[in-house]
Parts: sequence; C-alpha cells; structure tokens
Amino acid sequence: MKIFVFIAALILLMPAVSFSQQKDTAVEIRELRDKLERLERRMAEEETARAKKAEEERAAITEKVKTDVMSEVSAKGRTLFGDILGQTRVGAYGSMRYATSNLDDLHNSFTFRRFVLTTDSPISERLRAYLELEFERFTELEVERRTFSTGGGLRAQQAIEGSNKSEISLEQAWMQYDIAPWLQFRAGGILVPLGRFNINHDDNRWDLPRRSLVDRGVPVLPATAAWPEVGTGFLGDFSVGRTGKLSYQWYVMNGVTLDSEIEQIAQTRSGDTTKFSHEVELRPSRGTFSDDLKSGKALGTRWAYSPWLGDEIAASFYWGRYTPDFLPNHPVFSFALDGKKTWGPFEIEGQYVNTGWSGVDRVARGFARRALRKESEGEVGNVETEIEFELANLATRKQGYWVDLRYRFWPEFLNSTILGSHFSNPQFILTLRGEQVWFDGLIKNIAFMGGNLTSFNKESRLLNRATLGLAYRPVPLVAFQLAYEYTRTNSGQSLSSVTNFLTSSKDREFFQHAVLMGLTFGF
Amino acid sequence: MSWKRIPWIFFLVLVYPLLALSQEGIFLKEDEAPKAVFPDATSFERKVIPSNQQLREKIKERMGRTGTSLWEPSYTTFVVKQGQKILGYAVIVEEIGKHRPITFIVGVGSDGKVKDVALMVYREPYGGEVKDKRFLAQYQGKDLKAPLAPYRDIRNVTGATLSVEAIGRGVKKALALVEAVYLKPEDTK
Repeated sequence: MKIFVFIAALILLMPAVSFSQQKDTAVEIRELRDKLERLERRMAEEETARAKKAEEERAAITEKVKTDVMSEVSAKGRTLFGDILGQTRVGAYGSMRYATSNLDDLHNSFTFRRFVLTTDSPISERLRAYLELEFERFTELEVERRTFSTGGGLRAQQAIEGSNKSEISLEQAWMQYDIAPWLQFRAGGILVPLGRFNINHDDNRWDLPRRSLVDRGVPVLPATAAWPEVGTGFLGDFSVGRTGKLSYQWYVMNGVTLDSEIEQIAQTRSGDTTKFSHEVELRPSRGTFSDDLKSGKALGTRWAYSPWLGDEIAASFYWGRYTPDFLPNHPVFSFALDGKKTWGPFEIEGQYVNTGWSGVDRVARGFARRALRKESEGEVGNVETEIEFELANLATRKQGYWVDLRYRFWPEFLNSTILGSHFSNPQFILTLRGEQVWFDGLIKNIAFMGGNLTSFNKESRLLNRATLGLAYRPVPLVAFQLAYEYTRTNSGQSLSSVTNFLTSSKDREFFQHAVLMGLTFGF
Repeated sequence: MSWKRIPWIFFLVLVYPLLALSQEGIFLKEDEAPKAVFPDATSFERKVIPSNQQLREKIKERMGRTGTSLWEPSYTTFVVKQGQKILGYAVIVEEIGKHRPITFIVGVGSDGKVKDVALMVYREPYGGEVKDKRFLAQYQGKDLKAPLAPYRDIRNVTGATLSVEAIGRGVKKALALVEAVYLKPEDTK
C-alpha cells in the first residue's frame, strides 16, 4: 500500500519537478549562449584588431622594402637635387706598381697607374646614371695665362705645367633606362662591347699588374682600353632553360677615328742649330665626345651565352668608318671571341681579337695628298724649325689573344697569421698568362712630297709575352701582386715599334725581362 | 635598317614602361617572399624578432669567421607550416653589397639547412646576376658549417664579388638566427 501511495505521489510530482528542471536548463542554455556570443564577439574583435595590426606592420615593412631611396626621400619633402645627391654613391679603383726591366731606357720605377673615381645615382626606380673619371699617372696640371701691355705693344703669354704622361679621361658617363631585364636603354659615353676586357677593365678585377697586349699594350682593339665611345643603344639578358643565360649589348656610336697628336720638341744640339719642331701624328684614337670628325657612325655588339654560372662564351664585333672626312672613306672591322670556364679553384679565361683596317694604302695616299709634304723645315739664325707629319699605328690586320690560367687557393694555417686573421675569405691566386699578337701590313715608314707618296713600307711582325704572377687578396677589392714577364718580338727589331709602353728603340733590345710588384684597390 | 623605323623604336622605348610588368630592383614584396622559398607551404605565421645585444652575440658566435655588414633592428621571420607540420622558417635579412643594402629572404628547413634564397630588393648598379635562380640555387642544402664564400663553395659572379659575399653573409646570419631563436633556443652558445 505504501509503495502504491509513493508511486502515485511520484507520478503526480514528476511533471512539476520536470518542469522546474526544464526551466533551469533553458536558463542555463540561454546564459551559456550569451556567454558564447560574448566570447565570439570578443574573439572576432581581437582577430580584427590583430589582423589590422599585422596588416599595418606588413604594410610598414613592405613600404620599407619597397623604398628605393628616391620615394623615401621625396616623402620627407626634400629637394630633388638633395634626393639624387643623397642616393649617389662615390667609389673608386686604382693601381700602382713598381717595375724593373732589363731594357736600358726603362728605369726601375714606381708608377701610379691610375685612380678612377666612380659615381652611380639611382635617379628613380628605372633610371640611373653612372660615371667614371680617370686620372692616369696624373700628378698635376696647371695653366697660367695673361695678356698685358708692355714695351709699347700687347703681350699674351701662356704657361702649362703638367706631369709626364698625365691624363684625365672620362671613361664612362651614361644614363640607363631599365625598361625590362631584357631591354635596357643606355646613352652617353659607353664602353665599346668588344671582347671581355674592355667592359671589365677595372684594375682591381684582375690579378696581374699589367693589362694585356691585345687590349692595351699594342693594342689590337681599334683603340686602347678602356675604350669608351659616345653613343646609344640597348642591352639586356634572357634566361635560356633552367641555368642558361643569353646577354647582349648593341650600340651605335661615333666610333674610332684617325686623329692627330701633336708633339712639340725644343732641342739644343752640340755644334748645330737649336731645333724647334712639331711632330703631327695621325693615329687611330677613340672618337671624340664632341662633333664627329667623320660622317659615318659605328656599330658595336656583343652576344654572350652562359650555359651555367661561372662559364661564358661570347662573340662581338665592331664596324665603322675610321677615316676623317678629308681622307678616303674606309671602315675598320673587328671581331672578338672570348670566354671563361671554371672548374672548382681552376679557371681559364681568354680573348681573341682580329682587327682589319681596310684601304690602308689608299688612306696613306690620301694622307700624302692632303698633307702635301712630310717634312717642312727652315732656319732663322741659330734656330731650325721643323714640322713633320706621320701616319702611325695602322696595319692591314692585327690579331692576337691572351689566355689566363688561374688557380685560387688559401692554406688554412695562414688563418692565424697577419695574412688571414682579420679577413673572412682571403685568397692567393696563381696566374699564368700567354699572349701573342700578329701584325700584317704594319706601316713601318711613309714618305711623301708634293702630295705624292714617295716611299711606303710595311712589315709583318710578331709579339709574344708570357707572365707568371701571384696575387694575394685579403678582400675582393684589394690585391697585392707580384709578376714576372718575358716579352719578345722578332729578332733584331725593337719592342718600341710594336708596343706603346716599352720605350726602348734599340734594335738589339727585342726582348724584355721584367718583374712587377703591384697594388690594386677599390672601394 | 631603314632610318624611318627609328621614331618607332623611340616610341616603343617611351611606351613600353607602361606595359612592362617587371620592376627593376624590387623583385618580391614581403607578403610574396616566404612563398618564394617555401612554395609547398600552406600557412606562414609572421613573427618579428627584436634584435638585442644578447641575440647579436648568439648570431655572431654561430657565424664564426664570417662577419656581418649590418645589424637589423629586428628580424621579420615566418614559421612555415604545411597543415600542422612545421616545414621550416623564413627570415628577411639585409647585407651591404658594394655600397647599398641587398634585401633577401632565406628559407631554412627544420633540419637547419637552407631550403632556398630569394632576392627581394637589389639596389647596386652592377651585379644584378645574383638575383638569378641559377646563382641562388647554390645555397640550397647548405648549413652553418659551410663557408658560403665565393671561390670556396659558391661560384662567383664576375664583377659582383661583393654582392656574392653579401648574400653569403646574409644566408649565414639567417641560419644563425633560426638556430638561436627556433631550433636551439635553449642553447646558450
């Protein structure tokens, strides 16, 4: 009975309890839902704030990364001139050496070969300018000039003081417009892309203290390296496959021309008159940066293929009229093959250049016709005056090559010595260079009278040089160099008639032993 | 070549920039950079690591004989994941080439080896070849023990030796940072 009453009570009370529980659960669920919504709202707000902050930081850093000085400076409201000046970087490279030789006329000497100032300015993201100003063996140049009345007349006087062989030269001065990696427009004083040396001529890139015969000492190039011309053109590169690259340079330029050099000589002579002479020498020179002396323009192009990093093979050519307007129209044509191959610490690098000067005979006849007479002289009292005209450095064909074999090494035990302790990657570079130059139809002498050639002799010559050198590079832009050179031309003929740096004119001095110690630097 | 074509060539030169897509000098923006060195990743968690004397000392010690040309005030890094799995870390670093800083990103695997390197900004007038994939691929698989120096374990780019050295220093700095911050943070070295 009790059980029955209990069950009945349970049945009666159950719905009330259940209703109460349902009510509590609903409240609880509502509270939980509210809580969840609050949490979701807070999380969303925090997420938004976090995303906003991250976006701001990202934008700030992206902006920093994108900053290519110009935009940054302009944002600060500086002047355009100030912007460009602030972005301009000044650098330099140079070299000096001490050379000793067996040639009688060549003194053992220190030579400050050159100091070249460089500047580059990123004018804007796609525009930039570059300049190289060279001071070659330069010490001083001083000009004094004044005009005044004296002795009842007018006197104008000029004095020039300068150091021997000093030269100031604009090696490069161009502006470049980067349209795309494969198409960049360059205009100004640009390096002629013939061979690999002229476009990589900075002294501190090379491990031997003297430049090659083909590029400098003869040269086989139509003009001596570094050889710039004023002109305009395009350059760029394309990827070829996964690791290959094709690069080109293509320019139209004023071009090399026969230009005059005037040498003044004042000479006293024992038992003879005092001589005052002018020697006018017409020789191939780089084109003028002013009005061209000739009507035709020159073309120069170089195409290089690099199958993979470190190796390259290239072909280049140069073609253009070399005669000024007063001489018959004849072109010079040069072509070059060059390349580099690397095997670990070993490298082989070289260049072959072949230059043909067309119509040398006609040019000589034209020169005679214009100059009329080779020599003119007169004597007044004890002073003899002479003017002489020469045609020099022309050959029907010049061809030659240089090949460098290099081995880079660094003995680890030197890391704790003064040679290695302060530098992260010092190196020694052992270099063996072989060079040869052939001259065909090289003008030996020319004589003319009354506008007619009376004598015109040409010769064929050969010039060889072997160099063994060791360079120590504590850092990439500085090298201490030591080298031994052996230079030789045809037996019994002087080296000075085929080189522009060996002054000896004695025929018995047809070979040279030289030791050079050099220092080259850049910053 | 007909001279009449010259005006067209100049026209092309003037108009082409409007069409050209590539930006000389800037190759990658920050948000694109980590993907360039970890193309298979699904997420990149960005973390800025402030640089302090202690961190610099740790990096310096790990870099050994290799010095750095500049110390960044902070390092933008990315924890790189594929799903939940950490693939590695990416670090944006800067080093001076010849005159100007080169900005690049270094991807470092969880094993402490270089996954890949990508150039972000190159400001020097010469030596732009260091941005090429064929050059940067040389760093893949290198670790802190590698010299990362031209003519030793890295092929040089003619005329850009300073930029090549700069990339090597930056890669080493990134490897050192990843080890000091992520891989072996407890290591007091």
